[in-house]
Amino acid sequence: MALHRLSFRLRQTVTHVRSLHTSGCGQQQEATAVESEPEPFSVFRAQENDPACQSEKLIGQYYTLPPAHIKTVFPHGLPPRYQQQIKTFNEACMMVRSPALEVISYLKKTDFSKPAVRYIFYGMKGSGKTMSLCHAVHFCYTQGWLVLHIPDAHLWVKNCKELLPSSYNTSRFDQPLQATEWLRNFRITNEPLLSKIKTKQRYIWTKREFTEEGAALGELVDQGIARVKSSSDVVGAVIKELRLQSGQPESDFRMAVAVDGVNALWGRSTIKKEDKSSVDPEELTLVYNLRKLMKNDWTGGSSESGPGEQHRSRPQVDSRSQPEVPEDQGIRWSHDGRSSHQHPVSFCWCSGPAAPTVLLP
Amino acid sequence: MAASISGLLKPWTPRVCLVRWARYNPYYLEPEVRKEAYSRPEAELSPEEQEQRELKAHRPIKAATSGVTSSLFDDPVLSKFVNMIMKDGNKVLAKEIMTQTLEHIKRKQVEKYHKAPEGKKEEIECNPYFIFHQALENCKPVVGLASIQKGGKFYQVPIPLTDNRRRFLAMKWMITECRDNKHRRTHMYEKLSQELLAASIKEGNVIKKKHELHKMAEANRAYAHYRWW
Repeated sequence: MALHRLSFRLRQTVTHVRSLHTSGCGQQQEATAVESEPEPFSVFRAQENDPACQSEKLIGQYYTLPPAHIKTVFPHGLPPRYQQQIKTFNEACMMVRSPALEVISYLKKTDFSKPAVRYIFYGMKGSGKTMSLCHAVHFCYTQGWLVLHIPDAHLWVKNCKELLPSSYNTSRFDQPLQATEWLRNFRITNEPLLSKIKTKQRYIWTKREFTEEGAALGELVDQGIARVKSSSDVVGAVIKELRLQSGQPESDFRMAVAVDGVNALWGRSTIKKEDKSSVDPEELTLVYNLRKLMKNDWTGGSSESGPGEQHRSRPQVDSRSQPEVPEDQGIRWSHDGRSSHQHPVSFCWCSGPAAPTVLLP
Repeated sequence: MAASISGLLKPWTPRVCLVRWARYNPYYLEPEVRKEAYSRPEAELSPEEQEQRELKAHRPIKAATSGVTSSLFDDPVLSKFVNMIMKDGNKVLAKEIMTQTLEHIKRKQVEKYHKAPEGKKEEIECNPYFIFHQALENCKPVVGLASIQKGGKFYQVPIPLTDNRRRFLAMKWMITECRDNKHRRTHMYEKLSQELLAASIKEGNVIKKKHELHKMAEANRAYAHYRWW
């Protein structure tokens, strides 16, 4: 099948390159290439692509995300380096990690009448926190939950090009660009559910624009995208509606909140006011409303988060957020390393004289 | 004053010594960095090589530069190219550009590989080192031109080129082409990877420059006898 041709092609490249690349004939290298054949990639490719059915046996293996899901679930969620990998290999392969599986098993057993449980992924830089978060988000999407995914909270507290004073509360500041972008992505992810949820309150935006009570949430989101100036307030309204409605018996949806870089909400921001004084994150409308979601006073769902890239060695978790269950990403298992080496080899990423002889942990 | 002069006449070593001098005593031999050269058994060597080995036992050897390694990935052509890209001694930046170029070439080729139909997959070359060497080979000119004065006028005379000169010209053309003819916002590694990929299939501006040089040499064939070496 294609797999055999892949391994044949790999061997061909290896020997072909050797004759041109190294001037002398490396006899030892020839021997290693002939003896250790590259193992078939099927060993490291998970058979089960549905997150709900993945078991502990698949830890360390790669499962493929269906291409239709990538555009809907992650219009903004995946890190840029991973998006480059998707473009190069023409498919999205994610490694199944034990913390992600643990969180998914908890999510399956959540009691939706109790207050929302909050999970935090923490660990060293490069240990897979963001990807595990995306794995959990994918699971929530396949179960039909409403997904509120903030890809990186750090982007909201730094490098803000436009800062407007909020019309609702004069002491706060609006960020129209970030809010409209997030609303657009939110609509792409949750298209089917938006028409079913209705607002419980009347919102007045300007003298002539208002949203009636009982209108679909989709209309509210469209209002925010169309009127950029009031988009931050729309985000606040959406969050309030969802928080009030998610636990109610008559609402039939579950909510999953996923925030990456949650330390940014309580840390410092680099945005400056006109008089060069620093803006506190509390004074930003988006952050203020998001913090309300982070408290566990709502029911009918759960929230997952990961600390941002700034915090490397120590997991910095703010005491005010009071996480329930920490997940440790620190140690990489040995089969983790093996498959993460074999994956690039079989995708024709690593080839050449050193490919079969790379040391494995 | 008398004390300082008499101080210089005593035998002395300089307080500050460079690790590798540019001018070594001719007694010193060149270092052999490649591992394969040491693993060959005695029987395989020709008499000259055996003599060389004996010399190395008792002669001092120059220090190796920091640009050469005995690793599998050490490539003298690639190191030379990196040195030519380097400006103001910023080797780190030059090496970074080169690795980004190779990664970019690899990404483009792997993308093409995964999108190609089954029959065409075998033909796509994914190894960036191979593409780099192929591109340089295709850019090397066969003959060059020299300006020779005869009877008060200067003529462009076609001359044979040494291997080193050909390699130098290929690399120089590649780098100047990528520096001059690119958009202000394109990165060097992007432009380099485009040019290298084009040159490996014998297209692009550098190949055109080589062909123009060949045409000039062909046109000035009549003056070839002006060369006296």
